[in-house]
Amino acid sequence: MVSKHSLLTLAIQLRQGGFSLDVSVETEAQAVAIVGPSGSGKTTMLDAVAGLRRPDAGLIQVGQEILFNSHSGTNLPSHERRIGYVPQDLALFPHLTVQQNVLYGVSNAATEEHGRPVLQILEIQELLSRTIDSLSGGERQRVALARALMVRPRILLLDEPLAALDIALRDRILPYLERVREELKTPMIYVSHVPDEIRQIADWVIRLDAGQVVGSSVPAEAFGAETGNLTSPTRRRER
Amino acid sequence: MRLLFLLLIAGFGLSSCNGPLGHSGSVSGQRVVVSVAASLSDAVGDVANVFEKETGIHVIVNAAGSQILATQIIEEVPVDVFISADHRQMLRAIDRGKIDEGTIRDLLSNQLVVIVPSDRSMSINRPLDLIEQSVRRVALGDPEVVPAGVYAREYFDEVGVWNALTSKIVPTRNVRAALRAVEAGTVDAGVVYRTDMRTSLGAVIAFDVPVDRAPRITYPAALLADLPHPESAVQFFAFLQTAKAQHIFEAYGFIFLVAH
Amino acid sequence: MSELLEVTGFTVLMASVATLVMLPPGICVGWLLARRQFYGRSVLETVVTLPLVVPPVATGLILLKLLGRRGWLGGVMDSVGVDIVFTWKAVVVAMAVMGFPLLVRSARAGFEAVDRRYEGVAATLGASPVKVFLTISLPLARRGILAGAVLGFSRAIGEFGATIMIAGSLPGSRTLSVAIYRHAELGQDAAAAVLIIAAVAIGFVAVHVANRLGVAT
Repeated sequence: MVSKHSLLTLAIQLRQGGFSLDVSVETEAQAVAIVGPSGSGKTTMLDAVAGLRRPDAGLIQVGQEILFNSHSGTNLPSHERRIGYVPQDLALFPHLTVQQNVLYGVSNAATEEHGRPVLQILEIQELLSRTIDSLSGGERQRVALARALMVRPRILLLDEPLAALDIALRDRILPYLERVREELKTPMIYVSHVPDEIRQIADWVIRLDAGQVVGSSVPAEAFGAETGNLTSPTRRRER
Repeated sequence: MRLLFLLLIAGFGLSSCNGPLGHSGSVSGQRVVVSVAASLSDAVGDVANVFEKETGIHVIVNAAGSQILATQIIEEVPVDVFISADHRQMLRAIDRGKIDEGTIRDLLSNQLVVIVPSDRSMSINRPLDLIEQSVRRVALGDPEVVPAGVYAREYFDEVGVWNALTSKIVPTRNVRAALRAVEAGTVDAGVVYRTDMRTSLGAVIAFDVPVDRAPRITYPAALLADLPHPESAVQFFAFLQTAKAQHIFEAYGFIFLVAH
Repeated sequence: MSELLEVTGFTVLMASVATLVMLPPGICVGWLLARRQFYGRSVLETVVTLPLVVPPVATGLILLKLLGRRGWLGGVMDSVGVDIVFTWKAVVVAMAVMGFPLLVRSARAGFEAVDRRYEGVAATLGASPVKVFLTISLPLARRGILAGAVLGFSRAIGEFGATIMIAGSLPGSRTLSVAIYRHAELGQDAAAAVLIIAAVAIGFVAVHVANRLGVAT
């Protein structure tokens, strides 16, 4: 069960080609933002949490659930991890309608009770019968979010969800994310490079560079000149 | 996709009959399977029709290149009678013990003929005419490989014109190709089987290769050692050697070898 | 005329059956080669490609050795009373075997073109590997699979070498190619020409259908 006190523990070592990821994170924050230059390993980190990439060594634990532990040989397959993943390109299934996309992870019985708040918050109702290619950028974003939330994930992974949108659209979608955070209480890992978004959504910010964690802090401090960058990760008390 | 599905259902409907070997196809329900060289297909087909009318036994004719027929027989396909276009393929089957050797006989023979395009005015009546300057190209089945070409070379060698002819020879992949070359007029003359001329347009026979001067071309026939349909097989094999069958084969241009 | 209809109808029917028969294994092998590394993978690739590079008559001979009464598969069938050689079933076998490599190639390309991201996201949404295959991979690969089916079907229509070896040239179960060969051997050019036109027409229709389905062949 997820709660406000959810703990995220990540120790991931992964080598792919010339790139090496070695991160260690432990936090009680509900919404963790990950920032860093492109190529620093943010997406790889999300992929590892989602089970799409297997670390060479380490531990991935969300709340009480151990998803991966190289010591004990535990490696939960993706379809058992209950992760809600919204990748950078959204990966909406092009051959299915909006409704089929949104309901992909659930059986009919589940939708009635739990799905309604999601549909409401993201205002998906009127989009349900549409095809994916007929959606606008903002609509696609909401559909991808709804799809991920519909399975009641224990954690939501968002990879630059607003990056492809213009400012006006961003300002419209951001409140949805806030509502998701407040009303559904779903913990999230949020990759972004936009300070405003992070200040609004995140409780804690982790900075990556070249596959390593180079600092972590509260959002307010994260984007000051140099002052916000602490050199070692700390445990953050729940807000 | 739906179309394919419908066709599949029709196909399964077909599966209730096992194809030609599953047909009763005849009053008495008996049948015999005959593997024959491709060039004999029509002639044997006619013989089979007469036989079927008389006896009610259904004859299934499997016609293909003799090499393929022999290979099939070696792998024990269900066949009763084998008629080959040459002895080599029959020998392959004999060597593997598939043939009832007591039943082998030379059933048919063929005659070589020298042919020319029908619109040429050249008069070619004998082998020496082929050496004339006016004859520039002569088509034959490749004398290295094709039986008809081998036979032709033996004949021309025998009458002493082969050496003079070699520079004019156009070797072809098979006899049919030589015939087509003459019909098209791309060569001045060719050597083919008499039976090939039966349906030919555009070529005419210039002269026959006398049977006694020519090498022996034979189509051996035999019963298989292991007969799927013993009674019908023996009956049909005998029928192949009757005067009625002779009449049909000769109408197609074959020489009937079984003496009476 | 009746030969034209009978032979053409028979050939189209057999080719359709052969196409349906080769689809499930073809899709599976195509998917395997596109998505999975495994021990013996290159052996599978080679075996599947064999009918493409080996002369059809040689493939026919191998099939004959397998399915004939002396062959191990044929011997088993014989004892159960099932005939394959010299029946329409042999036609289907020859066609399916010869068309299979083309189907696999195309299906494999179709699967390789499916963004793995879709499959990954589907898994995170709780879909088991089977569900991912059926609801995501297969539908998104359908172009490649359909193109493969069309190619396999066309190959089946034109198939001769292996067919004549294991199915023979028997009246009532002659395919188009075998019938054309027979007429050509007998010098019956007119009859051969009629059947050739039928074969070409089928080819045209196949390509047209493929284009309508939006697949490149």
